[in-house]
Amino acid sequence: MIYQVSYVVIDGGHPGTIMNQEERPEVGDRVEFAGETVEIVEVLEIIPPRNDFAYLHATCKVVEG
Amino acid sequence: MVSIDLLKQVSIFSGLSDDQLRRISDICRQEIHDEGEAIVREKEPSNDLYIIQEGTVEVALGKPTAPGPTPILHLGKGQIFGEMALLDRGLRSATVNAKADNTALYAISRDDFVKLCEQDTRIGYIVMRNVAADLSFKLRHYNLAWR
Repeated sequence: MIYQVSYVVIDGGHPGTIMNQEERPEVGDRVEFAGETVEIVEVLEIIPPRNDFAYLHATCKVVEG
Repeated sequence: MVSIDLLKQVSIFSGLSDDQLRRISDICRQEIHDEGEAIVREKEPSNDLYIIQEGTVEVALGKPTAPGPTPILHLGKGQIFGEMALLDRGLRSATVNAKADNTALYAISRDDFVKLCEQDTRIGYIVMRNVAADLSFKLRHYNLAWR
């Protein structure tokens, strides 16, 4: 399965990202965007899966320090 | 020529057979861009659809109140941009820059794609349906960003 993920960072300067990945994102995972580490706080399925693709949204917050 | 396996990782080609993917591969050409290089510029004429093979690009919009384009989205591996050119023949709606050296893209010209769709309407139907779904996904991303 390929996960197409829409990432939104709350309260951060990052504009958000859409990318494909092989691992399903999970709440608590940490991801790095342009040198900034963020933590996933919410994962939603925003479109039903089709063929080999799953369509997800992940809301993230900036990790302090 | 693009590998079939790579095209299978791009959602707009989801549902195509290997033979149909080979025909898509035949009309792809590779481009490599360096960090900060503009791949397309807002308000310029458009012709190509792009697939990100490796790297990340930044999508930015000009605003009347800002001196330069404002970043609104990053797109990573497997994502597409320039799809509106395929649909409406309008000017580019945003500027897209490479975020790092050796950002690798595949470009498909609208004319080549339309010709292929006319030769094989099943390819046209599947890809256009997937492009519509991709635009819907991007709209949902913006909706969620505004919560």
